[in-house]
Amino acid sequence: MEAALAAAEARSESIEFEQWVGQKADALMRFAYVLTGDRSLAEDAVQDALTTACARWARVSKADDPEAYVKRMVVNAHISWWRRFRRREAPVEDPVRSAPSAPDGAAARAESEAVWALCASLPDKQRAAVVLRFYEELSYAEIGVLLHCAEATARSHVHRALAALKTTLSKGGAEDA
Amino acid sequence: MPEYDPEQELGPKFTSAFRGQAETTESQSGRLATVARLRVRRRRQAVMSSAAVVLVVVAIGGSWSVMSGLTGSGPENSSAGQADTGATGVSGPQRTMEAVPSQPSFGAAGCPAVHPILKAPATNAVPAGTGLDVGTPVTGLEACRYDLKAGALLGQQKFSPAIAQQVVDAIKVLPEMNSQLPVFKCAPQTAQPSEAIVLRFTTADGIREIWVEYTGCNSPGFFTGSHTYGLFAAPLKLFMTGPVRPTGSTYLDALKGW
Repeated sequence: MEAALAAAEARSESIEFEQWVGQKADALMRFAYVLTGDRSLAEDAVQDALTTACARWARVSKADDPEAYVKRMVVNAHISWWRRFRRREAPVEDPVRSAPSAPDGAAARAESEAVWALCASLPDKQRAAVVLRFYEELSYAEIGVLLHCAEATARSHVHRALAALKTTLSKGGAEDA
Repeated sequence: MPEYDPEQELGPKFTSAFRGQAETTESQSGRLATVARLRVRRRRQAVMSSAAVVLVVVAIGGSWSVMSGLTGSGPENSSAGQADTGATGVSGPQRTMEAVPSQPSFGAAGCPAVHPILKAPATNAVPAGTGLDVGTPVTGLEACRYDLKAGALLGQQKFSPAIAQQVVDAIKVLPEMNSQLPVFKCAPQTAQPSEAIVLRFTTADGIREIWVEYTGCNSPGFFTGSHTYGLFAAPLKLFMTGPVRPTGSTYLDALKGW
């Protein structure tokens, strides 16, 4: 009897998990893509996070915000990649504006491309801080917790990225002129 | 005059770029959930298999111990037992220790068959509150070697308080990275570490751990959760003995004197 109840509970959890993934997969993939800048890395990060979430679904589903919980797992997976691939994917020294100068109307898109290209050149922890700040709109304290660093360090990551962006845009502006 | 805030000026540019790029991404939600469930099932099967192997080893060890006890102490076999002991110079209980290679030379180690390192996202992700503060005095050490891919305990060894303290002393003076180690470029599959050793130190506050990574293509080293120390031979040679000694690895092959 107890075994049957446990099996029924497991089946119900499995269905609930599948439904939840159906609702949240797109948001998780988008977040992971922005975080990693690479579709296959993003899919791996989401898959790893969902595997962990599936194994602990009873606990994850009771969290205040299961999506935020799983996103934290994605960030952790990304940070671990950062360690694994830091030598493989060395950031370039000077961020380069890759998008050519564009005529009016396409300017916003060109700027957006330049920002995305800049992000690809940022060290991964700096990039993660920027994504968490401007895509997830987290506070510096929350970013510090997620990246396992002090709030001041999180703030410093973001401000360095902003400084790099400013340099990139001003260089681009000078070239355009 | 208002203070210049680069976040207000440039932050929206990041937000806009991220949202624009994010919109181009789609997921295959059905596949993600299915793969997640399959992986969980495989992990659970691996854990069950490891537990079964451990049970069999313990059962064989127990039977061997009982048989040795009967042979050595039974009145009808006492003379034969003494002759055996005299011929080999090994008593019953000592033979039992030799029969199970994972048994330590300094008392019995209590390495858990299922350890958090087997589920950790990375071998440097020591859970908060469980890592060793290297300034803390230690009174014992058990080294547990795990196969991260199979999720199994490969070997264990217990060390004296003196060796335990020597290991900590040898680790705490190390720099964050060993620049002498080779730099590898490898595929994600080969980057995954295959083995790791968990050093479980006995302290006044209970067991505290340092995780040691020496395989894969990842950053190797000693991890306490709050600090990273580079992989050097000096501490390794103190505890990489017996069943806790690997035959080699990407990084160990480049180290001398371990």
